[in-house]
Amino acid sequence: MGLLSSSTSFVRYSVEGTPAPNFWEFAAERISSFAFRDIDDSYEERSIGWVSILNMFDAEFAYASFAAGDHIVLTMRIDERKVAPKVLKKFCLKEEERIKKERQIPKLNKSQKLEIKENIQLMLLKKAVPTPATYDLCWNLSNGTLLFFSTSQKAQEQLEDFFKKTFELNLVLQIPYLTAEHLLDDQERHKLAEITPDILV
Amino acid sequence: MDLVDLIAEKRFLGQEFLTWLWFKSDERGGTVYLPGTGDITLVFEKHMLLESGEGESHEKIVCQGLQSQLQEARTGLSMGKKLEQTRIHMELGEYEYHLTLKGSLFEFRSVKPPKTMEGSDESDDPAAVEGRILDRIGLLETATRTIDELFRLFLKIRISPEWRDEVTKIRAWINRAGAGQAV
Repeated sequence: MGLLSSSTSFVRYSVEGTPAPNFWEFAAERISSFAFRDIDDSYEERSIGWVSILNMFDAEFAYASFAAGDHIVLTMRIDERKVAPKVLKKFCLKEEERIKKERQIPKLNKSQKLEIKENIQLMLLKKAVPTPATYDLCWNLSNGTLLFFSTSQKAQEQLEDFFKKTFELNLVLQIPYLTAEHLLDDQERHKLAEITPDILV
Repeated sequence: MDLVDLIAEKRFLGQEFLTWLWFKSDERGGTVYLPGTGDITLVFEKHMLLESGEGESHEKIVCQGLQSQLQEARTGLSMGKKLEQTRIHMELGEYEYHLTLKGSLFEFRSVKPPKTMEGSDESDDPAAVEGRILDRIGLLETATRTIDELFRLFLKIRISPEWRDEVTKIRAWINRAGAGQAV
């Protein structure tokens, strides 16, 4: 459900802050620094970075540039190793049973259980295959607005953090009231601030 | 005020806009006149979510029915609920869009933009790729700009003394709907 999908969902942001001078040069350098790094062959738990909107394996933008007219188009890719809670619980219990039998003790204390949990989690994470998630964005540089193609609050929070790290600019979600502020003049904005919910029946 | 408080406190604004837009569209048989653009077709269809109250008194109803009179949704309005989410069929000249708009957050969901010649070029040539991307961006930005213009139209009335007259008309429209009459 991205920019080029036949059916898509998105929210709008306003990009706030002063862009760096020579912005295209700055953007190219920052996108390259924050490009996605594969973790399939390592044990890292999570990786986040920019890829091409046409190909999630293209972090060098060989298939399509991130520039389209006055817009920057990117995909934020997040790969994460996850362990299902039920799987973690099963292997923890199995290990606890093994240790109790080995040491011939009736039960384990809290700190022993915690240590087992940490070790098992690490062992299972190393075995887990990273799950990818991709989210497109389209940034209109001429009017400082950005479309983000996800309505997930978690994805939006990840975008806000990662966008700030990359471009040193803030994103503000355009809820109706903030959109309204952009559409009205000063005098009208004062009136808008004063209105309260009306009863329509 | 931080964003979370602002969302809660100003939640009504987007909901009143959607409710007003439904009234405006219904008033002229599915078209709304947008100054500078002209008549645009706006049909409220298929899926509506209405809500009222906050916290423990929060209530919502979901109504579905393809191009039906959406009688239950209209009855919901007469019980004081406001439109939180709706599916809209929008025609701008030769372009047809289908989209779901969520009022409190201005989320655009399941947006189906029109198919165009530029967008159908599947070649991998970089110029064709850029053309395809720009075509899609143009279509989506046209939709958001149109919704913004409709929102601006609403806001100008909402903050003016004319709003009282508009509320009277909306109430009459809702009451007719609540009484089960054809609107």
